[in-house]
Amino acid sequence: MTLMSRRAALLGAAALGSAGLTRPAFAAGSVTAAIYPGAWEEAFREHVAPVLKRQFQIDLEMQGLFAVDQVAKFAASRGAPPFDCFVLDPGPRITAIDRGQFERIDINKLANKAQIPAGMADEWGVATGAQVVGIAYNPKKLPRPTGWDDLLKDPWVSKLGLTGFGTTFGTVSLIELAKVFGGSETNVEPVFTELKKVLGKVAAVGTPAAMPGLFQQGQCDIMYTNTQTVTTLKDRGVDIEFVAPKTGAVSFITTLHIAKGSTNIDNAYKYIDAAISAPVQKALSEAPYFFVPVNRGVALGAGLPMRSLDEMSRFVTHDWAKINPLRAGWIDRFNREMAK
Amino acid sequence: MKQAFIRMGPALPLGLAYLAFFVAPLLMLVAVSFFADDKLTVLGLDNWRKFLFDSFHWKVVADTLLLGLKAVCATVLLGLPLALVWRGASPFWQRVLLFVAVMPLLTSVVVRTFAWIVILGREGVVNQLVLGLGLAAEPLRLLQTELGLVISLTQIEMPLLLLPLLSVMARFDPNLLDASASLGASPWRTLFKVVLPLVAPGLAAGALLVFASATTAFISQSVIGGGRLVYLPSLVWQQAMINANWPFAAVVAIVLLVSVSAVIAVIALAGRIAGGRVHGAAA
Repeated sequence: MTLMSRRAALLGAAALGSAGLTRPAFAAGSVTAAIYPGAWEEAFREHVAPVLKRQFQIDLEMQGLFAVDQVAKFAASRGAPPFDCFVLDPGPRITAIDRGQFERIDINKLANKAQIPAGMADEWGVATGAQVVGIAYNPKKLPRPTGWDDLLKDPWVSKLGLTGFGTTFGTVSLIELAKVFGGSETNVEPVFTELKKVLGKVAAVGTPAAMPGLFQQGQCDIMYTNTQTVTTLKDRGVDIEFVAPKTGAVSFITTLHIAKGSTNIDNAYKYIDAAISAPVQKALSEAPYFFVPVNRGVALGAGLPMRSLDEMSRFVTHDWAKINPLRAGWIDRFNREMAK
Repeated sequence: MKQAFIRMGPALPLGLAYLAFFVAPLLMLVAVSFFADDKLTVLGLDNWRKFLFDSFHWKVVADTLLLGLKAVCATVLLGLPLALVWRGASPFWQRVLLFVAVMPLLTSVVVRTFAWIVILGREGVVNQLVLGLGLAAEPLRLLQTELGLVISLTQIEMPLLLLPLLSVMARFDPNLLDASASLGASPWRTLFKVVLPLVAPGLAAGALLVFASATTAFISQSVIGGGRLVYLPSLVWQQAMINANWPFAAVVAIVLLVSVSAVIAVIALAGRIAGGRVHGAAA
């Protein structure tokens, strides 16, 4: 009796086990996505992965990789993509398109396509977050600036925190500053000329990652940055306000792409769909991530200089196909001009 | 042969791992530096020429090595007296001092670096003290200066100097100090003629650890030093991670490796000579 019971128990356990083992065969499998390490990885693990699992029974595997690493790792894989999806800023996106690293995307396959504003999806990818760039200042210490050129005037210049061409937001801000002094998207020479005149007064020339800390500690009281940084600092009780310069705030998007040769294309579409869905976008737009959403169904935060996503089409944008070939030279020049 | 294998056998797994994960990537790094384009398709010396024939790059090399030497000097000047105090302390206080010396290692270097922003900033602890005491009318500029960077590196790297130094200090015979005093030597003469030569190997080991760590301290250099102080590690980062120019990044990385190794070799040699002289005389 005992033996039978044991057998029955073993059979029962085996049946349960096999049910468990066969479950993944019914599940839709997995998708591997490259993601920026840090906040992006945390945010997607917390908000995208559960939705993907719940709605589509797909496991999200993430590889924490910076943009350059994604492009390089794909190039090194020679036809066997190491991940199914990229996440890229405009500069590396152009490089990857040039190198033929993306599958074309059929936006009609995305259930949330109607919620994505114009200009935020194309044949190569779909936006998953936006950045709005302008001037951030401490209203308790400085008067409100109105334009990019105010950064180089008193009283702002002696409280200015500068960062170079190392990030997308730094590059576009310096381009806009150059434009005020007669430069253009491909000519930032005026920035170097003007910065040289005031360099001795500038409060800090920092690395992009250090800028929020420098602002928080009062080392600088004005800087160019994105709304995400402003909202994050405000959330921590820092006196900071975002100003859209009179020539317009700058915007750019971070996009998701399907890797060329991916054997997991259906799941990659579902991953993108989950990432741009209203609940996920809403969650990503709240504390502690404060991403600028790309889904029309999500209400915009009070710290943003627009009341609807469609207004972003009026913001200043840049052609990274023109910027990319020049940027390495600008970074080198910035090193030399700023070096003590 | 068999005996040699038995002797070397236990070290084989580590040796193989070292070959696979250190030597092989290093050789790949050297190979990458000989490509002329960022897509690694054309061989050429272009990137070596670009680095070697530009005075700005040599200034960056010099600044990086000088930063390491300044950090070594500051840690030795502050660490050696602490080690002497430790040598003369009771076992209880020795344990307390050792804990204090090692404690910074228990905190992440990132946290220690960001803590220095709070200390050295315009509204930081130092400036509040200086302004509060009326020593200056305006906040001192400490962040984003080489002085601020050296101060922070001194604290951040101090355990690396103290640990080898204290282990050598623990071994030296205290009777030698009494012997020196009984022969009429002043405390200073005893320090320079007896103590320093005896602890030279530990001091050299600590100094080379501090030097290697300070010259490659990317986070501290970037966060405390800021954008106007350009050192080799930030140049490697820019070229590799922003410009995607891996061949040039490889050139800069090799220059960093070679130049830092050269100085380390000199420090190690100086330590051996100083130590050898003492031990030779003792023998």
